[in-house]
Amino acid sequence: MRLASDIGGTFTDLVYLDEVTGRLGSAKTDTTPPTFERGVIDTIRKAAISERAVTFFVHGTTVIINALTERKGVRTGLITTRGFRDVLEIGRANRPDLYNLTYTKPTSFVPRALRLEVTERMTYKGEILVPLVDDEVVAAAAHLVGEQVDAIAVCFLHAYANPAHELRAVQIIRHRWPQIAVTASHEITREWREYERTSTTVLNSYVKPIAARYLDQLDHELTRNGVGGGRYVMQSSGGTATFAAAREAPIAMVESGPVAGVLGAVAIGRVVKETNLISLDIGGTTAKTSLIEQGEVKITTEYKIEWTRASAGYPIKIPVVDIVEIGAGGGSIAWIDEAGSLHVGPQSAGAMPGPACYSRGGSEPTVTDANVVAGRINPAYFLGGEIALDERRAREALQPIARHFGITVEEAALGVIRLANANMVNALKLVSVHRGYDPRDFTLVAFGGGGAMHAPALAEELRINRVLIPTNPAVFSAWGMLMTDLRYDLIWTSIRRTQKAVDDGLDRMWSTLEHQAREYFTQQSVASSRLVFQRFADMRYAGQEHTVKVPVPDGALTAAAIRQVEERFHALHEQRYTFRLPSAIEFVNFHLTTFGTVDKPRVPRLRPTPNGGGARRSKTTGGALKGRREVDFDARGRLLSAVYERSRLPSGAAVKGPAIIEEPAATTVLFPGHRATVDAYGNLLIEVRQ
Amino acid sequence: MNARTPVRRRGRDGGRPGRGRVGVRDPFTLEIIKNALVAIGDEMFVALQRTSMSTIIYEVLDYATGLTDARGQLITQGNGVTLFLGTLSHAVRYTREKFPADLHPGDIIVTNDPYTGGGTHLSDVSLVMPIFYGDEIVAFAANKAHWTEVGGKDPGSWTTDATEVYQEGLQFPCVKLFDRGRPIESVVDLIRANVRLPEMTLGDMWAGVAALRVGDRRFRDLCDKYSVAVVKRAIDKLLVDGDTLTRLELRRLPPGQYAAEDFIDDDGIGHGPFPVRVRITVTSDEFHVDFTGTHAQVPGPVNCTMTALVSGVRATYLAITNPSNPVNDGAFRSLRITCPSRTIFSAERPAPVSTYWETMLYVADLIWKAMAGVVPDRLTAGHFLSVCGTIVAGAHPDTGELFLLVEPQAGGWGAGRHKDGENGLVCVGDGETYVIPVEVTETRYGVIVDQYGYHTDPGGAGTFRGGKGLVRDYRITAEEAYLTTTFGRHKFLPWGMAGGQPGSRNYVKVLHTDGREEIFGKTARYRLLKGEVARLITGTGGGYGPPSARPPEKVVEDVRNGYITAEQAEQEYGVRVDPKTFALGGTREPARA
Repeated sequence: MRLASDIGGTFTDLVYLDEVTGRLGSAKTDTTPPTFERGVIDTIRKAAISERAVTFFVHGTTVIINALTERKGVRTGLITTRGFRDVLEIGRANRPDLYNLTYTKPTSFVPRALRLEVTERMTYKGEILVPLVDDEVVAAAAHLVGEQVDAIAVCFLHAYANPAHELRAVQIIRHRWPQIAVTASHEITREWREYERTSTTVLNSYVKPIAARYLDQLDHELTRNGVGGGRYVMQSSGGTATFAAAREAPIAMVESGPVAGVLGAVAIGRVVKETNLISLDIGGTTAKTSLIEQGEVKITTEYKIEWTRASAGYPIKIPVVDIVEIGAGGGSIAWIDEAGSLHVGPQSAGAMPGPACYSRGGSEPTVTDANVVAGRINPAYFLGGEIALDERRAREALQPIARHFGITVEEAALGVIRLANANMVNALKLVSVHRGYDPRDFTLVAFGGGGAMHAPALAEELRINRVLIPTNPAVFSAWGMLMTDLRYDLIWTSIRRTQKAVDDGLDRMWSTLEHQAREYFTQQSVASSRLVFQRFADMRYAGQEHTVKVPVPDGALTAAAIRQVEERFHALHEQRYTFRLPSAIEFVNFHLTTFGTVDKPRVPRLRPTPNGGGARRSKTTGGALKGRREVDFDARGRLLSAVYERSRLPSGAAVKGPAIIEEPAATTVLFPGHRATVDAYGNLLIEVRQ
Repeated sequence: MNARTPVRRRGRDGGRPGRGRVGVRDPFTLEIIKNALVAIGDEMFVALQRTSMSTIIYEVLDYATGLTDARGQLITQGNGVTLFLGTLSHAVRYTREKFPADLHPGDIIVTNDPYTGGGTHLSDVSLVMPIFYGDEIVAFAANKAHWTEVGGKDPGSWTTDATEVYQEGLQFPCVKLFDRGRPIESVVDLIRANVRLPEMTLGDMWAGVAALRVGDRRFRDLCDKYSVAVVKRAIDKLLVDGDTLTRLELRRLPPGQYAAEDFIDDDGIGHGPFPVRVRITVTSDEFHVDFTGTHAQVPGPVNCTMTALVSGVRATYLAITNPSNPVNDGAFRSLRITCPSRTIFSAERPAPVSTYWETMLYVADLIWKAMAGVVPDRLTAGHFLSVCGTIVAGAHPDTGELFLLVEPQAGGWGAGRHKDGENGLVCVGDGETYVIPVEVTETRYGVIVDQYGYHTDPGGAGTFRGGKGLVRDYRITAEEAYLTTTFGRHKFLPWGMAGGQPGSRNYVKVLHTDGREEIFGKTARYRLLKGEVARLITGTGGGYGPPSARPPEKVVEDVRNGYITAEQAEQEYGVRVDPKTFALGGTREPARA
């Protein structure tokens, strides 16, 4: 039995897969802060799973991101190079909100009085210019301990080039004050730029005791309840880590939740033999999308939290799956600005009060209200009928928009849907078109509560031919976690020209990195036969600053291999930026990704029709037809459409639009010209005729 | 992907086929196109940054990209720096005048003429590309970026002692750079021969071209999808909305006359100070800014021209009306600007202009100062008001190659009605501008940074305290290096507000190996030897409200955090703080200054 637990702000979800029977199930309970582990145990009980049968437990968590955004981490001190304690507060001194002359910078996580300096200095070449004065480290740490800090971050200039001083400093502190959570910058990132590295180190320290307590308690509770098997945490990089590894670098869990869906898309892609995918997760508040090329997720190290057009945010230099998230979901509110133009989001009605049609006190029009008025959502079958939606309230909420533009409520609803879709299209373009990818080469994998409802229209807009709606789209993210390998990334900054890179110690560097990765996995008791290495280099034209990530072949970096890498770089640069240059090329970072592969369950094939009297292998849809209703298909008009129950559609069944396919937690809207078939695994594959 | 992808054309009126409710009468389609136009501006902006060869572009983001309509009205602009606002339209209009019938698809025009065509100083180079749909020019893509090297008498091109524009670099008087998609090699050769770092300069050129091509491609995609007619309609709506939103705010301002005056330190070659003045008349439908009474243009390179003047005014107008409004020409229809010709704000050829921005900052600051008391929720007390532009040039100790460090400095901002000033933030002329990391600086340039942090120069005391200025030390590791700086507000301090104290000044202090020290604001090619230190110190912002009204607990916290010294706490705030225990030792009347 394999378990995936997704601890969200409101609910804790459990998805479980019985490897013997292939049965996939799920359970949901309330999240139970601050004792989050209780919620996890509750779901296991609720699902009535035999604890001892569990072979694999993975979980995604919002505990870290919440501790950061709610400022519920621990009191943290910083020890840094003499002359540089203000680096953390100055940041990069940018003013993203250009015309706002009362702009307020993000407040530092460590106040100035807790930022202390010690004598030491490295050069950019990693040579010791001024030796570290041990006594000053002792004095600084003693002062911080006296100031009641629970965590200390250590970040010295050029530690990415030579971490010797940081190693010494943390050794001193850990030896004397073992109770203090200590993080040195080089343990988290080996990239240059002191502000970004300091920020990352500080944020890691700030949440480290929280993560340790949380993981230990969860571990303890799982053991106490007899849950067996290996235990893993989802990482922002799209891999998993053991509890022990996650304890040391908890900042890597910052996007633990959202990446799981992207990994799910990769996994479902493997099943249906599609390697170019765009994942789209539409929830109540946001839509998240990410592009997968040749079966691989895209990674960025330019991640920031609380970064908006109006705020500089806080950089975290760790590998994070490149996800674009926008404020457009079912709960997004439609509003009219002072100039009289309509907007949708980013404000959301959330779950409370929720859309107007929930009848929980919400009166502002949302995307869900618009979908109800357009006939796309069945008010009697929302969450399988758990919430009865009130179409009258939805209409009332949309009335002011209709009045403002002098149109009908139905037209206003379509306008809201169209604007929400346009926002989502812009997000989808950000990950595709804007990065030089043609969406037509991709399959759109849509999930979350709203994915199936919007995806077919979005695909049409982007001229995507194929949409995949997985089974159980509402818990697809948790399912994705079950399909994920362990992952460890090592990134090392060392700038050099490609022409001079042959016989320049690079082969030794790769083997050193691989050795480090092996050591890491040995500590996690992962057999080396399970390791898979992937090499990348961040490259640029000499003189540029920003880089392009280029895959590097295994084996010796011969002149021929370097030429091959250069050519890949030229091609990727041109794809993304429209031109290539005859200039010299530089390596900037060397990036080794190591996967510790775990056994993954086989995805079960759809069993013959459940309610149709045994093994009827009928491909007809007759048994699934629930009725017909009028649905508004925007430019194509309001059409009488067949409505199907998804769970009763057998594999091989085909449904032509206009049609609606309902399941308890999602609704698929097929436009005229769209054709959905149910594949052997129960996925809906929609062909969008252009 | 292909530059042009074949797509199905929609109905001729541009609407989708349907029941007539989604044609051009549909307000939502226009809204969607508006958003798409803004997204195009963003994408152009990123393309330029990611491919640039100059730190001044990819870190400092000293550039702007955007689209105008066929008449040259700005539709959308992605800005890295505040004060490029509106310059793109000037460049496009100049292009239209000069090439009324001689533009083809794929053509690119280059201009940096400070006196006519949207130019500011020669280092800021604009590229303009007509966007064709069929045979018709439907829009222009444009950008303006600070190219690190455009030749001239000094490395880095801008300098503080030029006396004519001819010393300040290569002039591009609005000429074709690309013909039907291909670079005109003779022009490119001319650039290559006239600049010190041709690879970098041409790299910046290509980055600009990449951004234009992105804009061109996306704009035509939009026309493919919605038809030209509908896109044009959306543009008109965008501009009208911009005007409407601004006028709503304008009507909330109390009508009346507001004025301010100030002084610019000097012109870098011994003249000055120069008085500058503004008188603003606010009515319900116009914001009229009049600079009559401002000093005439001057011999040194601090002159600013009309294009820059307009940008400075626009930036503050946006800040006063609604800083989150979208940026387009519509937002400025209610703005009127008067300035006599040949002033320091409206200089004419061949006045040197290479550090024009320091003077343009005064344009923005004068309006800010005049209006601060009127809109105190949107305007703070005065800030350090200078880019504090710095050049360090020399031969890299490792490679022997020329290095050229060109960067702005961050400083202290003014306190406001409800807040202390911001510590260490780039000036109003810069924006999404990133100071260069110490680790990058030391790797690329022949210097070691000995310290980078706040200082405690006196200034900025108030009920709300001015934000801290910074100190940054460059110790030279090359055999020798040359320092050029233009630190404004060296003699006239950031202004306080509502009884708050003025801030502190910007200055450079050179520490010679023989123990000599020298302090100045502006210098050109100041020779530094190995081991000598250039200490760059930026001002603390002005305070808001009387210092005596600052709660003693806050003063104690300031001492604990080292933002002010215990002596300053006592002298400026009348609060005694034990410098060791940080215990509050009572309060008394502040000493008279």
